[in-house]
Amino acid sequence: MSGNVREIQQSEYEQAIPAKGAAVLDFFSTECPPCEALAPKFEALAEQFAGQIQFLKIFRQGSRELAQRLGVSGSPTLIFYRDGAEVGPRLTGEIKRSELKQRLSELVGG
Amino acid sequence: MAERYDLIVIGAGPAGLAAAIYSARARVRTLVLDEGVPGGQVKTTHKVSNYPGFPEDVKGAELARRFAEQAERFGATIARSVEITRHDLRSDVKELELDEERVVQAPAVIVATGAKPRELGLEGERGFRGRGISYCATCDGAYFEGKSIHVIGGGNSAVEESLFLTQFAAQVTIVHQFDQFQCEAGTADEALANPKIKVLWSHEPRAFLGGDALERLAVEDLKTRTRQELASDGVFIFVGMVPQTELLRGLVPLSPQGYVETDESMATPVPGLYVAGDIRVKRFRQITTAVADGTIASLAVQAYLRGRKA
Repeated sequence: MSGNVREIQQSEYEQAIPAKGAAVLDFFSTECPPCEALAPKFEALAEQFAGQIQFLKIFRQGSRELAQRLGVSGSPTLIFYRDGAEVGPRLTGEIKRSELKQRLSELVGG
Repeated sequence: MAERYDLIVIGAGPAGLAAAIYSARARVRTLVLDEGVPGGQVKTTHKVSNYPGFPEDVKGAELARRFAEQAERFGATIARSVEITRHDLRSDVKELELDEERVVQAPAVIVATGAKPRELGLEGERGFRGRGISYCATCDGAYFEGKSIHVIGGGNSAVEESLFLTQFAAQVTIVHQFDQFQCEAGTADEALANPKIKVLWSHEPRAFLGGDALERLAVEDLKTRTRQELASDGVFIFVGMVPQTELLRGLVPLSPQGYVETDESMATPVPGLYVAGDIRVKRFRQITTAVADGTIASLAVQAYLRGRKA
């Protein structure tokens, strides 16, 4: 596993989302082929955007309340943050690498 | 420097992996590409009961894993989670660029990209995706523990996945446009006997409504033309598939529905370019028919490659 993606627990959520700068959070599940498909793309892009965007992931099965609070009901779901607040639409289901890269570029660019 | 193969298979579903098994066994240097993990639609099917050789039901994910393992055992290379960022399938040696960084070439290509779930195209559908709307029961079923959910559709996928969802949901209401299911009789009987499953016959969804998350589903009774809104914690949509033929647009003839016309050997009018599986024009789309297509395409490619050398 890449050192550029940090797995968090739901209790750490508040501290993990940085108050300044950009972050992306991946809600993943087991028995979820699109989650498995996303993992290597997420890690490759985490390496590419290292130092610019914090890459976080959280296991849905252990984060039921947080998923409910954030209105996440599908895996994978990617949530994007700037300066601690969610920005832009979420990505969910089968996510293309190019589509994710585009969103991340916008996140650091704008 | 481009990597050279004899055959590149695009799509690691049953058709693509059957082609890879046959090709790799015949010492054809085979690369299989997939945007995700191997298995195609099978990997998100909770169980498969009609694939020969499995007298007990087999989990779709397990069958998918076995297909891939068998192909790799004979030497096929499977590239997972790759995206084709540039392609030339018309030239004598076909060339693909992967993730803007890797270039692969082969004289023969089998396109087996299959089909993806059809969207209804209704108000709210895109916006509530991942916030109450799902197309994958194995992925998202567990989010709906104890909830009251709806399934749209009445074919094999809709009814089988409804049965699977009863493991989690308190109630599953199937919304179906006709007044009987279009699935296998055994599956229909099982669903109708399940106390957690209710059916709204002759109804169609019209809109998905809510705030941050899906809250209500608007449906119309096709007989009375009356519309009502139903409270819903989640909606799973299984209303058929659309072929994934983006790579082939402008290159080979497509049917009005977007499927690819081939001859009996899975060949297209472009030399060295073959297609197999659910993207073909054909009457029945099953795992077994996809596997048959992949087999035929591989044998046809082997003959084509021998012809090039001769």
